[in-house]
Amino acid sequence: MSVVVADHLSKWYGQVIGLNDVSLTVPAGITGLLGPNGAGKSTFMKLMTGQLKPSKGRITVLGEPVWENPSAYFNIGFCPEQDKFYERMTGREWVIALVGLNGVSESAAKEMAARSIETVGLSDVADKKIGAYSKGMRQRIKLAQALAHDPQLLILDEPLSGMDPLVRRKTIRMIKEWGRAGKSIIVSSHILHEIESMTSNILLINQGRILAEGNVHQIRDLIDEHPHTVFIRADQTRRLAREFLTDDQVLSMKFEDGGVVVQTGRPDVFYARLTELAASGELGAIHEVTSPDDNLQAVFQYLVKS
Amino acid sequence: MNAKPGVLSSAIRVFDFSLGQMLWSRRSVFLALLVGAPMAIAFAIRMVAATRGLPVINGAGLSGPTLFGILIWLLFVRFVVPVLGVFYGTSLIADEVDDKTITYLFTRPVPRSAVLIGKYLSYLACVVMLVLPSVVVVYFLIVPIGGHIGEAFPSLAADLGMLIVGLASYGAVFALVGAWLKRPLIIGLVFAFGWENTVLVIPGEPSAVDAVRALQDQFIGAVGASAWNGVAAVRLCASDGAALRHDLIHVMTALRGSLPRIWTN
Repeated sequence: MSVVVADHLSKWYGQVIGLNDVSLTVPAGITGLLGPNGAGKSTFMKLMTGQLKPSKGRITVLGEPVWENPSAYFNIGFCPEQDKFYERMTGREWVIALVGLNGVSESAAKEMAARSIETVGLSDVADKKIGAYSKGMRQRIKLAQALAHDPQLLILDEPLSGMDPLVRRKTIRMIKEWGRAGKSIIVSSHILHEIESMTSNILLINQGRILAEGNVHQIRDLIDEHPHTVFIRADQTRRLAREFLTDDQVLSMKFEDGGVVVQTGRPDVFYARLTELAASGELGAIHEVTSPDDNLQAVFQYLVKS
Repeated sequence: MNAKPGVLSSAIRVFDFSLGQMLWSRRSVFLALLVGAPMAIAFAIRMVAATRGLPVINGAGLSGPTLFGILIWLLFVRFVVPVLGVFYGTSLIADEVDDKTITYLFTRPVPRSAVLIGKYLSYLACVVMLVLPSVVVVYFLIVPIGGHIGEAFPSLAADLGMLIVGLASYGAVFALVGAWLKRPLIIGLVFAFGWENTVLVIPGEPSAVDAVRALQDQFIGAVGASAWNGVAAVRLCASDGAALRHDLIHVMTALRGSLPRIWTN
């Protein structure tokens, strides 16, 4: 069964092309949408969630057109990329209010919100104002609102962005569990390592076009030839850097903006080690792990040329 | 397949969602101060009246109900209502778009029209809750100066009704401006404080050139007796003595140029 079918789908913003003549079928299960920033991932997701009207072509989600079809949202949960909230609400109030828009009773909304908040591990801070949440908590409360009404399809736009390694690992596990439980999930990222840890079914997107789809081991090998850059900010950044000095997979390191920028040839090994260190707690808290997409951009440029 | 969500039931859900947000926003604090100004003015008038007796303009004493009418007309109808309409109405959708929180509303099973209607209803509830108490306080401060609260009460009810219609009309116009156009606040301010004042001095039937003025004509049909007294008092003063008239022109022009319309009627 296909969850999303796009047929010559295009979206223009004036003279700028957001998505260019995309025809594809997304199967049930977990699918990763991988591409550098500005590739068209968010545009595609906005078209999938009916926030944008296609300039040309058509798209159906779960067998229904989604533009101007609000009933489609009973079966879709969307976690947007932007870090925007009604800051004065508590996490619980926010999720209850949003799930209430699905037409459920107040008591049912409370129950659904409590369940989804528990699923994302925020029960202990659910009654704090969202404005006081860390970046990772804000990401998780967005996930909670997306899954509160138990949708058939979850569309997650960069859901791991800004999460610390432990929460990232937990969230990846959670997404895989939802997939095993029968939900279909489309998850976007500009980091192959993240996507690969959730699924091998990948859509590669760049400059508004789908470059490849399916199980892309060759792409993986290609990407591995390009060093992967990671920025880490932690309580004890210098001690953390020392831990990685002796590792073969670390190619270079430099300190900037209160953190350390590491280049690695083996991102999977590097992230596993980083998660171990975070779990041990030896080096205090790791506050931020982000990856610029320079390496991925280089790979896409190579792909487009070849 | 799920049933298509109804516009009315969805609008009520959006209303529920938005009302608390709107009431406790920073904008509401600012606007609460705005509607507090007439109360402060009324309190000052009351204090002066207590020590010096009835206010006198051009040799004629003004009673409490007449003063109340002046305040209703000049401060509320001609200033507070348009300002609330512009600031709240234009922000209903535009703020959600600017803050990128509209995504959360547009990815729920709620028709887009219901989002606008629900947010408009929450605007109306919010501004009515801000304005009406202010009017009532002004009434109880001003009317007892040489007047009777009981006698003027029907007129208060009519004035309150007129203000609700005014808030609803301005809000509807500016909510649409906010939903359809970019930079809605600037457009709203230009419209309310520029275009409307310009149109007021154009002779002849205004309805063809200014929808809001046409709405104002409808309000006058429904205006309470106290507000009418206020308009009449201003007219009387303005037609009696060139110096006072000159002063009044300045004062009233500052209060959004209401005099030309009153004078020419």
